[in-house]
Amino acid sequence: MSKFRKENKKGAPGVNTSSLPDIVFMLLFFFMVATTTKESDPTVDVQRPQGVSATDLTPYKQRSEIDFLYIGEPRNKKRAADFKLGHALFLDNVAQPQPGDLYSTNSVADWKLDKMNTKPSNMNEPISNVITCIKADEGVPTILIFDIRDALQDIDALKIAYAVEDKSAF
Amino acid sequence: MAKRDIPEINAGSMADIAFLLLIFFLVTTTMEKDTAYIRYIPKKIDIPQPPPDIENRNIFEIRANAANRLMIRGEIIENPDDISDRVLEFYRINRSLSGEQTKSLIQNESYKGYEFPFYSRVTLDQIVKEIDKNEKDLERAEADEEEDFVVFYLDLLTKWQKKEQAIKMLKEKELVEIHPQAHIRVVVQQETEYKLFAKIHSEIQEALIELRDEAAMKYFGESYAKMSKRLDQDKEDKKGDGKKIRAIDVLFPESIIEVKPKG
Repeated sequence: MSKFRKENKKGAPGVNTSSLPDIVFMLLFFFMVATTTKESDPTVDVQRPQGVSATDLTPYKQRSEIDFLYIGEPRNKKRAADFKLGHALFLDNVAQPQPGDLYSTNSVADWKLDKMNTKPSNMNEPISNVITCIKADEGVPTILIFDIRDALQDIDALKIAYAVEDKSAF
Repeated sequence: MAKRDIPEINAGSMADIAFLLLIFFLVTTTMEKDTAYIRYIPKKIDIPQPPPDIENRNIFEIRANAANRLMIRGEIIENPDDISDRVLEFYRINRSLSGEQTKSLIQNESYKGYEFPFYSRVTLDQIVKEIDKNEKDLERAEADEEEDFVVFYLDLLTKWQKKEQAIKMLKEKELVEIHPQAHIRVVVQQETEYKLFAKIHSEIQEALIELRDEAAMKYFGESYAKMSKRLDQDKEDKKGDGKKIRAIDVLFPESIIEVKPKG
């Protein structure tokens, strides 16, 4: 008879999982704080050109002082022929317009004014201070950029931004 | 055959592994940021006016053609990375000249900086005098109800007030200012790719930030980029960056003209 009996019946004790919710909440809060939502998924392909010393737009996004428009080749290649120079404009929150209107400078002005009307009520910057950020594909002919500029000039939306991928951060 | 108990796996270290993974991803992820060059479209003018006469020396013209080739001030450039150096040269070459040197060299065609913008120097007394004069002009225009003049003098007045602010912030005897007409002109053609257009803006921005950073370090001991980022994030400007940034902007104004390609 031995004094020490092997306790082989007990096995490993169960893991205490009561702190699991804490971990999950921590993760949840992290992502809640760190994410900025994408306005919408564009229907055009945009490969941004590279640049250095660009301005970070995050603070403007947080204050809703910026609107994005996309310009590039349409994802649906068959429709490319419908647009000026084969590049389509994508304006978020616009009901799918007719192919003819989709690339038209009139729709830019209407879209921008509509955007201004749906801003949160605590945002009281005049239209000339609200940035319009043009996210254009590398291959876009610049005349299209200038068409957009003209449309914005007509409605006094005078602050624009040319989106690039900032490679100086690395 | 006797049924054997399957031993329970010890999962106690699972939490450690999960934490390790979590921390690894926390550290390594970079979230894609939206970055861009902010530019201003000039206000629309209802009555077309003839373009003012601008001396060649005050224009820094960057041309890009339909085949995406570059030309700076009439000279073909192969490498677009050279643009920023040329912009720096444009701003810097005549900046360190004293008042007398400027007067003598401005007519001297053999001087190497002849084809570049010259700088003017004003003292605080001169600025204050100009402000007084403009205030009187403004009052007179308001009394006569001549709206065009009111707008004109108001513009002028704010310009001089900015200079006053700047010279006080910089604590300099003289404010060294580039010729008011000196500007960078971007001329593209319809088919020029956006990639090159963005590259041009990238190079201009790089040069401007370098100039401004240098001045900001000299006067305020902090980089311009850092101050402007802080100002972007804090609209109320608790740290007083706005004044500093406006002072630097007076020294190195961002005057870029983008010319619409003719169709």
